Amino acid sequence: MFGIRRGSLGTERAQEALAGYSFIAIPLILFLIFNIGSLFYSAYISLWRWGILGPTEFLGPRNYEFILRDDIFHIAIKNSIYYTIVVVPIQMALGLLLAVVVNQIWRGRAFFRAAFYFPAIASSAAITVLYIYIMSPDGLFNHVLQLVGVNAAGLPNGGDWLGHQKTAMNSIIALNAWTTSGTMMLFYLGQLQSIPSDVYEAARVDGSGTWTAFWRITFPLLRPAHYLVATTSVIGALQMFDQAIIAGGTDGNPNYALMTIVLYLYNATIKQYEFGYAASVGIVLFAIIFAATLIQRRLFGSADWASAR
Amino acid sequence: MSVKSVAQAVIVEPKSEPVVRRRIGRGLVYAILITYSVLVFVPFLWTISTSFKTLPESLLLTFIPQNPTAQGYITAWTQLKPVLPVMFFNSALVAALATVTNVFFGALGGYAFARLRFPGREALFLLVLGTLMIPDQLRLVPVYQILVNLQLISPGPQNYVGIWIITAISATSLFIMRQFFLTIPFDLEESARIDGAGFFTAFWRILFPLARPALATVAILTFQGTWNGFFWPLVILQAQNHWTLQLGLSQFRFQYSTNWPPLMAMVVVATVPIVLLYLFFQRYFVGGLSSGAVKG
Repeated sequence: MFGIRRGSLGTERAQEALAGYSFIAIPLILFLIFNIGSLFYSAYISLWRWGILGPTEFLGPRNYEFILRDDIFHIAIKNSIYYTIVVVPIQMALGLLLAVVVNQIWRGRAFFRAAFYFPAIASSAAITVLYIYIMSPDGLFNHVLQLVGVNAAGLPNGGDWLGHQKTAMNSIIALNAWTTSGTMMLFYLGQLQSIPSDVYEAARVDGSGTWTAFWRITFPLLRPAHYLVATTSVIGALQMFDQAIIAGGTDGNPNYALMTIVLYLYNATIKQYEFGYAASVGIVLFAIIFAATLIQRRLFGSADWASAR
Repeated sequence: MSVKSVAQAVIVEPKSEPVVRRRIGRGLVYAILITYSVLVFVPFLWTISTSFKTLPESLLLTFIPQNPTAQGYITAWTQLKPVLPVMFFNSALVAALATVTNVFFGALGGYAFARLRFPGREALFLLVLGTLMIPDQLRLVPVYQILVNLQLISPGPQNYVGIWIITAISATSLFIMRQFFLTIPFDLEESARIDGAGFFTAFWRILFPLARPALATVAILTFQGTWNGFFWPLVILQAQNHWTLQLGLSQFRFQYSTNWPPLMAMVVVATVPIVLLYLFFQRYFVGGLSSGAVKG
């Protein structure tokens, strides 16, 4: 009797495990091939001269030497790092400001939250094309400058914000600060709403002003959100591509001002079919992202970021 | 003076100054809210306005078109190569394929990770979440090579299969579904199992229909992500008549360079479906984002 029951329980368990494995099999295979496996495959390809027809010569680490010696790669690295260092603090500050402001009101909160997230739902292609129009010499931005008494045609860039080397990247920074601020606001808003209100009551009893209370209490308590927002935006910023290629073409015009690491990687793969070389660019980018994430861990402590809601 | 009014006076006295300060604070809050709302909406309204303008007027500062015309839409509808309806269909196809598989495999896999016991379950789930750490574009070379090997890169409708393989299932979908299935009482499918139904039948008949809100979140986030997708269509779609709207936009931007009305008409057409989704299902966007992205 017991033997039979244990037996049926055993087959029951085995059936359950079998069902479990088969239900996750297809996603797991896809992940193993196209995500995790492709990372290792990438490292392997990077050691070869590898064209569209496959590997032709074993190079060891020489692809890495080649990219480090390439001038355009230096420009790409410099541009991507400049972009990241400038855009991330702006995104964080703007996201935090919007979250704090939206959190201050009751009536209309849902409306403003939805409104501020709105730019994040449109595609990068649509947003970039409409931005190219707005920032063109005869675009809305220059019309607005005209209204406040600035003649754009007389500026050093002639009012061609995306077409001039000095202003192209900064214009893209403004664009992406605008499109991502709503997402960052949502991250901060979730965390803000989890701060119990008696914390503020205590501050009020202490006689602290709103400003002091914000910097002393709210800002440090938001640490998990800071970590989340910072890592998300740094990883996103280091991979900036869509806006660069749509506004500047494959060369990141004008004069490589919009050449980013991923655009460089894209060109090496799709234009030149230098897969080995391109793979080593990908590995370098991965190393940079990994290092940046570790640095931020240090900066914000190993905050329990899973609780950031 | 009664005790009560003394107390009131004491309370009111120090309060009066912060009240003024709070009024200023209120004013500042609303000033920021309104300014940023203008910054958010004006570019989109400007785009819609231009899509109904003539080419000369698209260079002027007029918010309402003086001579409204649908010429921009007509040009986009008839003269682009491929024409707008074709690109619209291609975008819908790419998004629909990904949405169907994300909903189905997300739910099935999420059910297994949440409710079935098997060795290595937690480790495998961590592996799934780990894929979120690998940025999309780092995979360009190996994924491209694999697609070349599978003959999915040469021009033809098989390119869609290439995109589908990459977008078929995301860790976020699995995560959202697993979290949902964890919240449902565990004895629910027991009765079905006792009746002799298999695990799949129990899932399909009982749990899948219950999961409608989570399924909607997965469907909407996947649809939005793939409809808006740019990188993989750019890499994989070879023949011009297979282009999606986003890919077409990025190409016509050079071809039409400053012919703004048809370009803005295309921006409108490429964005309207997502805006409609957002208007009707806003809570799924926001909810999905905070559950998926924060914990993923």
